[in-house]
Amino acid sequence: MSSLEAIVRELRKAARRALGARYAAHALVGAVAWVAAVMILVRLVPFERRAELAVLGIPVALAIAAAAWLIRRPSAALLMAMADIRLGLKERLSTAWERRAESGPLDDAQRHDAVQHAARASLPAAFPVRVNRGEATLVAILAIFALALALLPNPMDQVLAQRQADRVSQARAAKAVADAKKKIADSGKPSPKDAQIQKILQDAQAKIHEADSPRKALESITPAEQQLQKLADPGTPALQSSAQNLANALSGTAAGRSAAQAISTNPAKGAQSVRDLASQLQSLSPKDREELAKALAKASQQAQNSQMRDSLSKASSSLQSGDAASAAQALNDVASQLDSLQEQENTDQAVAAAINGLEAARQGLAAQADRDANGQGGQANAGASPSAGASGSGNGTGTGNGTGNGNGNGTGNGTGTGGTGGTGGTGGTGSNGSGTGSGSGAASTERIYVPGQPVPGQSENDPTPLGPGQDVPLSPYTQVIEAYQQAALDATDQSLIPGSERDLVREYFSQLGEPRAAK
Amino acid sequence: MIAEEPRVDATRVTELAQSLETELARLIVGQKALLRDTVIALTAGGHVLLEGVPGLGKTVLVRSLGQTLSMSFSRIQFTPDLMPADIVGTNIIGDTDGRREFHYQAGPIFANLVLADEINRATPKTQSALLEAMQERTVTVGTQTRPLPSPFFVLATQNPIELEGTYPLPEAQLDRFFFKILVPFPSEGDLLEIARRTTGDSTPQLKSVADAGAILTAQRTAREVPIAEHVLRYAARLVSATHPDRSELDSVRRYVRWGASPRGLQTLVLAGKVRALLEGRYNVAFDDLNSVAQPALRHRIFLQFEAEADGITADRIISEILEHTAKEPASK
Repeated sequence: MSSLEAIVRELRKAARRALGARYAAHALVGAVAWVAAVMILVRLVPFERRAELAVLGIPVALAIAAAAWLIRRPSAALLMAMADIRLGLKERLSTAWERRAESGPLDDAQRHDAVQHAARASLPAAFPVRVNRGEATLVAILAIFALALALLPNPMDQVLAQRQADRVSQARAAKAVADAKKKIADSGKPSPKDAQIQKILQDAQAKIHEADSPRKALESITPAEQQLQKLADPGTPALQSSAQNLANALSGTAAGRSAAQAISTNPAKGAQSVRDLASQLQSLSPKDREELAKALAKASQQAQNSQMRDSLSKASSSLQSGDAASAAQALNDVASQLDSLQEQENTDQAVAAAINGLEAARQGLAAQADRDANGQGGQANAGASPSAGASGSGNGTGTGNGTGNGNGNGTGNGTGTGGTGGTGGTGGTGSNGSGTGSGSGAASTERIYVPGQPVPGQSENDPTPLGPGQDVPLSPYTQVIEAYQQAALDATDQSLIPGSERDLVREYFSQLGEPRAAK
Repeated sequence: MIAEEPRVDATRVTELAQSLETELARLIVGQKALLRDTVIALTAGGHVLLEGVPGLGKTVLVRSLGQTLSMSFSRIQFTPDLMPADIVGTNIIGDTDGRREFHYQAGPIFANLVLADEINRATPKTQSALLEAMQERTVTVGTQTRPLPSPFFVLATQNPIELEGTYPLPEAQLDRFFFKILVPFPSEGDLLEIARRTTGDSTPQLKSVADAGAILTAQRTAREVPIAEHVLRYAARLVSATHPDRSELDSVRRYVRWGASPRGLQTLVLAGKVRALLEGRYNVAFDDLNSVAQPALRHRIFLQFEAEADGITADRIISEILEHTAKEPASK
């Protein structure tokens, strides 16, 4: 040891080592305490990223300890004083360091004496690297505690599983809506209201995605469906019926047969064919004209659309009076109405596709909401809930209100209040009951959107082929309702739902006015 | 930075002290702490009050010290009828070339080494005759102040048990004493050795090992011993802790009437310096202060009556202070 500076350097090195070990131990205590705190927290609050949160504390604790270690630099005087005390140097080093610039009669001798004694001592021993027994015990206790908390069943697991299932359910519902949007966009049948439909679906998709729960997401579907239904033209069925009657009437005439086929294929082609027929009126034989006039007159009588009826009537009378030009003009008016029908059908088709998408979303969300209500939310994801045996029950009563349109397409919006005290197991939570709604409307033309729903005499593998311009099979209401009612009641019988809910389904069908009762 | 040789040969102080102790130990059996404290006080230039029951060798110690030092030695036996002039001297009428005039007749105080035996037997008036001599190292008789020889060293003795007809030393007088050393009763082994040495046909003859010059040099050297700031602060904390209004110790607040004076701090530091030298060290350590705290402070702490009733001594108070005063390392 050549000088006091060398002593200080050696002491500083030893002190850094000892401090490093001490701060590492502090960091370890902090990290384990953090993990234990997180383990306690996740038992009180459902937190999904618990592992990340727990692990986060380790680098943070290490960083804080490292920063403290870097910042803390004991002064040379302190190092010397501590070395004096710990090595029994009788304040030689601290005195020598303090008076290193002094030149008193004994200062040189004192420094010489201090350096000599320091040379004989093991300076690193002044700052030994040792584990604090208290800290080690604390780390062990905290580690065991945290491990036990990690291994023991956590009641929050079921809540998390339910949340996960809810999210999956909402994602699927949102995807169903997105699929409907894509389907409408790719249909190749543009309608003037496509943009509005897309906007409604877009909003519904966003609300479903952002909803706190499937039940909240469900609440956004009904308004969207109502908005869509407002886009549908209620006069379309009448116009369709008129067009079909026209096609039936023309099919019996030689001149109008091709036009009848075209109208049956789709209104747009029918319109073109009717225009062609109008341009050929001059060249028709009197017999064909008379035959055509009668067919048009018959179609006019059957037409439910007033404009169509007027145009057909005018065409018929003009033909009978030999005014081919007026007849051609009237037929061109009919063609324009067929073009309009095509647009209305396209719109209805898009609305139907959109509602089907929303209904698909509703089914998934409703199923998940029911599972949540029964305290089985976690079952939507296989294996998502590690707490086997946890179960709960919920009950509730609901009141419903509904809206319907003239097409007999009803949607319901249910709100309910229910007991929140689910019982059983460790985590089941009861929730609200469910409500039902019913819609009613004039059954002038029966059209029901029942995707994949087979009608009597038709197997599931043999779906009804889509009609011209149709997106879903169209069947008469009377043919569908019985099977629909039966299927619904069978489903309620097979599901674990309260009897009151089952009665609600029966009541719904009875309110529809059908004479058939459930078996 | 490190010099090859110190400019002041402090080892000579150590050797002097060791020689003194060795020589005194030839006559004084045991009592190592007594000898060490006495030598420390001598080297520091302070006066000593020796307290002990009769027969423990107090007077022998002082007389032996006089023999080992080639310096003038006086013994004053304090009695109730002793007058101040008997100590400091007086003016007497005498003939000088046929003329009668006053001449100053110096008292026994004019010596390097003064033994004030049974000092508490003299009246306060006589005791106070020592005040100026002990503090100023001068004597004023009439209008003339005369310096005392240097070094000047008073060793007083008093008996703590035979209190009838005695006059306890006033606080101001006590504070003049550098150390108050309690002379303990010898151990059984020491008693046997005392018997062997003093009941034979010969008594050990002590030789002189130092003169006044050596003692003065040692005193100057001792004052040069460096003391670190945090050690000095510790000494100050010790002294502060003896005051009931500053101490955190219940015993001090309850039993102490008045704590040590600043002179107590001076004594503590100076004695610590001397002890460091005697230990072969060139700096004052905490241990040095702790070691000299009892003799340096015990006569400077004045206890309440309640302390006497509870059997609490100043030594016990000092022990508690030493135990509870932190030796904080330097923080800068």
